[in-house]
Amino acid sequence: MMERVQPKPLPPHNLPELRQVGKPLRRVDALGKAVGATVYAADYSMPNMLHAKVLRSTVPSARITRLDVSKAHALPGVVCILTNEDAPNAKLNTDMPGQTGKKARSGSDAPVLAKDVVRYVGEPIALVAAESLALAEQALGLIEIDYDELPGVYSPEEALKPGAPILFEPDNAVARWKIRKGNLEAGMAEADVIVESTFKMPFLEHCYLEPDAGVGWVDEQGVINIRVATQVVEHFRSVARALGVPQNRIRIRGTMVGGGFGSKEDITVEIFLALLARVTGRPVKLVYTREEVFTSTAKRHPFTITHRTGVKRNGKITAAQINMIADSGAYPYLSPYVLLYATGMAAGPYKIDNLHVDSVAAATNRTFTSAFRGFGGPQAAVGYEQQMDEIAKALGMDPLAVRRANYMTTGDTTGTGQVIGSAVWPEECLTRAIAALGERTPDTPTRKIGRGFSSTFQSYGRITWFHDTSHAWVGIEMDGTVVIRCGVPDIGAGQSNSLCQIVAEILGVPLAQVTIYATDSAVTPLAGTSTATRQLYMSGNAVTMAADHVRKTLVGRAALEFGVSEEQVDLADARAFVKGDESTSIPFPDLVTKCAAEGLELAHLSQFNAPFTNGIDPETGQGDIWPDFTFGAQAVEVAIDLETGQIELLKSAACHDVGRAINKAAVIGQIAGGSHQGLGYALMEDHEFNGGVPRTTSFADYLIPTTVDFPTTEVIVLESGTGVGPFGAKGIGEPALTPAAPAVANAVADALGVRIPELPFTPKRVLEAIDKRRQKKDG
Amino acid sequence: MNSRLIHLTVNGKSHEVAVAPNAVLLHTLRDLGYTDVKNGCEIGECGACAVFLNGEAVNSCMVLAWQADHAEIVTNAGLGTMDKPHPIQEAFADAGAIQCGFCTPGMVISTKALLDRNPDPTEEEIREALSGNLCRCTGYGQIVEAVRLAAERLRRSSSSPASSLREAADDVTALGEQGPSQHEERGEPHSDARILPVSEQKEVR
Amino acid sequence: MTLPAFEVLQPESLQEALAVLAANPRVHPVCGGTNLIVDVRAGKIHPETVVDLSRLDALRGITVSEDEIRIGAATPIAEIERNQTIRRCVPLLAACCKTFANTLIRNRATIGGNLVNAAPCADTAPALLVLDAQVELTSASGARWVPLEEFLVGAFQTTRRSDELLTTVRFPLPPANALGGFRKMGLRKISCMAKVDVAVYLELDDNGVCRKAHIALGAAAPVALRAEEAEEALKGQLLTAEAAVPAKQGLTGEPLVQKTIEEAARLTAESTLPRAGSEYKRQVVYGLTRRILTACAKGGNR
Repeated sequence: MMERVQPKPLPPHNLPELRQVGKPLRRVDALGKAVGATVYAADYSMPNMLHAKVLRSTVPSARITRLDVSKAHALPGVVCILTNEDAPNAKLNTDMPGQTGKKARSGSDAPVLAKDVVRYVGEPIALVAAESLALAEQALGLIEIDYDELPGVYSPEEALKPGAPILFEPDNAVARWKIRKGNLEAGMAEADVIVESTFKMPFLEHCYLEPDAGVGWVDEQGVINIRVATQVVEHFRSVARALGVPQNRIRIRGTMVGGGFGSKEDITVEIFLALLARVTGRPVKLVYTREEVFTSTAKRHPFTITHRTGVKRNGKITAAQINMIADSGAYPYLSPYVLLYATGMAAGPYKIDNLHVDSVAAATNRTFTSAFRGFGGPQAAVGYEQQMDEIAKALGMDPLAVRRANYMTTGDTTGTGQVIGSAVWPEECLTRAIAALGERTPDTPTRKIGRGFSSTFQSYGRITWFHDTSHAWVGIEMDGTVVIRCGVPDIGAGQSNSLCQIVAEILGVPLAQVTIYATDSAVTPLAGTSTATRQLYMSGNAVTMAADHVRKTLVGRAALEFGVSEEQVDLADARAFVKGDESTSIPFPDLVTKCAAEGLELAHLSQFNAPFTNGIDPETGQGDIWPDFTFGAQAVEVAIDLETGQIELLKSAACHDVGRAINKAAVIGQIAGGSHQGLGYALMEDHEFNGGVPRTTSFADYLIPTTVDFPTTEVIVLESGTGVGPFGAKGIGEPALTPAAPAVANAVADALGVRIPELPFTPKRVLEAIDKRRQKKDG
Repeated sequence: MNSRLIHLTVNGKSHEVAVAPNAVLLHTLRDLGYTDVKNGCEIGECGACAVFLNGEAVNSCMVLAWQADHAEIVTNAGLGTMDKPHPIQEAFADAGAIQCGFCTPGMVISTKALLDRNPDPTEEEIREALSGNLCRCTGYGQIVEAVRLAAERLRRSSSSPASSLREAADDVTALGEQGPSQHEERGEPHSDARILPVSEQKEVR
Repeated sequence: MTLPAFEVLQPESLQEALAVLAANPRVHPVCGGTNLIVDVRAGKIHPETVVDLSRLDALRGITVSEDEIRIGAATPIAEIERNQTIRRCVPLLAACCKTFANTLIRNRATIGGNLVNAAPCADTAPALLVLDAQVELTSASGARWVPLEEFLVGAFQTTRRSDELLTTVRFPLPPANALGGFRKMGLRKISCMAKVDVAVYLELDDNGVCRKAHIALGAAAPVALRAEEAEEALKGQLLTAEAAVPAKQGLTGEPLVQKTIEEAARLTAESTLPRAGSEYKRQVVYGLTRRILTACAKGGNR
């Protein structure tokens, strides 16, 4: 980037000043966590509690020829052992967690406990409950199992070849999507240059600090209770189905989650606990070991993405053809939807009239892949943003200019023909991120500097044909304190705090006077999953609706009291007062007492609906998929050590339009944290397999960034106010991660003059690329 | 394997507990109710289980319980409570350094170990001191700010305890004025990475 | 996860500990526990009895005399790193300790534990090799000193007899003008196993000519080893550009020094790593060695 980049001016927009929303207030959950008072799932204990362990497959593809639990049963202190025989109908409905009324895709049901066949290392086979953890572990060792190993498939390419061993009939193609927009041939014919590239990315592990855990018990009403670290309270439906009991007889009590990032969106310990609690009649606790988290919970989908793009000399894209192949692992879980996200966002935030995308997710005998922050969007971005730079290189053009020539604007349609109605600010974000890098660091003889950036978009809100809803209840107590009841799971991003801050704003009470009761399927209105960057949007809007009802009551009654119109009344500091004449006021306890005496509504339950659509055309992929998108960008500077191949990240800056920040510190934390995960994606994370056997099953082998690896990403927050969330908010949870890895990829290519086609950029790959380039130059 | 009674002093409280020779301190502490000590990996890679053992910050998953016999142990919960948080804990809460919170107890322990030795650390020293504590949520930036804030507050309160209340109020006002405020043009925000949040409680005071 | 069952003996004195070892050659010593617990959990070792040395203060501490430095085997890595004498007189060892695992592990892991475990990637090994370190092996029947390069004989293999404990590490106190450095290369900046460690120790005379050169590699082979060919090549060579010296091969000053350094780095890489499959590691060794030698030549980075 030779020119000095100026931030693109923002269009005039005026966001109303708010008293609490937007401020970096201390979060309601912060102090409890700081002093170690917050209780997480593994911290719970109950009287008479048993400890559970799961016996898991040690081979990736096999028939179980013998399973003998008798010796384990005979161990004193072992209370219960369950195999598939004991729960033959227990299946994991691994499709669309938390959603009602849809038929499961065929083949998507993983057995809770493997019956005859195991399809991945780590697949659950038996459950043990014993008086102590040590005994349960010992019992596990006494279970005798013989495997007859079967041929398996260990890459999606292999899996799709004719004659390959099939995991589920009729073939290993778990899902396919396609986009047919415009006229590809005509578009390619129009092009001056055609650029073709292929990019590869690996399995990743979420590495949340809290291993999956829970406690299950049957209460005095016979209801099965599951205390669990989960992103989805609505899993009670799946648990009920697996156990063959009515849905209103399972209660999920979610805890503060120690990180989820999509992995705790799947059912993990819930059904195991429900089965054991029901059979033993005692509370049962199950805590995964870290090794178990690596082998037996969801991973990010590996993708191989090929771009073939026709461009004119002026940089304008005339046609794009994109092929994607993803590894679904041994069971589908959310693969069809991850693939959809990648497909829908395959072409990036660019206006492309002639677009073909073909994507397939194939089953292999490896750990199942499912949701991980971004859900296919980050993989798509690794493809499209590197391709934009390759196009620039082929044309001899500035990479920023190529993007400018193709950016979408508000009112344009995406690759699936969805109109984006909110602010489309990719250039506004990108120019600010680049400008934040400042002066380029000079090269030294052994250190080559590179700069790169990426412009990305990521959906927020769930797929609209899921007909997503969220509920929240807001009420005010007689002393003026406020209560929120909402099923929202808090997975650390401030989900519950945002709702409190919104309600505090609307009702005019200090944040400290708002309490939220959350995440209990029996007593808190269901708010849907903490996934898909949907909670602020969905539950934020639900609490806004509910709080508005209560506000209306207070304002109305106060207006009557003051003898003024409602427009002249405002609420703040737990009082109602006349605007411009604050001495005319009434404190909330008095106001609420009056309202209560008159039977006015002091609490309200609201339901917020996302747009309800009907799906996309299966042939063309055209149709609306998501409520809206968040645009963002990242720019980084790297220094490549030409002797060791090590990459040092010197600077990183990210800019996102979040619509409206509810808690500024939380938004910064999300962007900085998401960025760090994306940087790890590019530079050090790789969940490796030897055939079907996972090799990196601890934090010693699978490396994530520490405090000293990267400088903190500088965060620039833009607020267009045009989101469909509360106060014009968009979502940031997933978008925060999306631009990081592609920015690094482009910086590394800038430094080396050659592109490393596969993530992560290990020192070995860097030195190989340098060698290759030297050979090309010499040869 | 015969259990033995070992004697632990944890957060000032005496415990006599029978543990097997292969017991690990992390589990012994958690079984005693000190669940603020977190189990993240059990192989000393993540730091979530960090405690003070006779004054040194260590991974409790790497200490055999018997090795801790007669030791003084301090966990994060021993440093402060909801009613009376330790300045380090308060700084973490104020600086937005806590998201899921699972790494926080270990981070606080490593922070205290640093500030006890080095009351005015550079950013590099802060990052180095916390290099054994993994966090997956925050990207570490706000954690570094929290340590800086804690160091500043601890230095102030140790130098002049009487004026610390007034100065703490000043620090809150100053924090409140940083970054985009009502006076700033919505159209041109600047980098927000260094904003520190205002504590609601302190405002009321 | 519960560790597999084992007994723990906790002797109150070194004598008692040695008696335990004499009586039962299969006991497994433990001190910081940072290797034992990980290895037991991974099923790499299955001790029946573990003898805890962590309470033996006699095994802990750093003593400096006129001509040598002694470090007790039970001294935590953090203590070595923080020690002002080590930082001043043997900065290459302090630098090595700073790259060791992470801050929390360093408070428990001991120098003795690192050496007796003898992992190929043991970080302290190359640093101590270039310092000509010796280890003291003590048993109930006496003590013996063994040069470190004779002690480490293979991956996870040492010459420690089963009735012996490694009790002390010693090495000559470097002269005030000694130079050296330590670099570790891993896939992450900290808290990871070394892919390659390089340690260098140099003594130059007043003319800047190399009188003593020690170079050692860790993690590149089953055992940390000295790069003797490179060391030979450096002896008698000019390593400080400023000193006046007759032209050699048409080069004087800095280019001559650079050439010498590059040659030594090349020899280090090629002599220590097998031909097959280590091209990448050879390049890294070359780069790290060249870098340390260059820093030494510039007078810094002791």
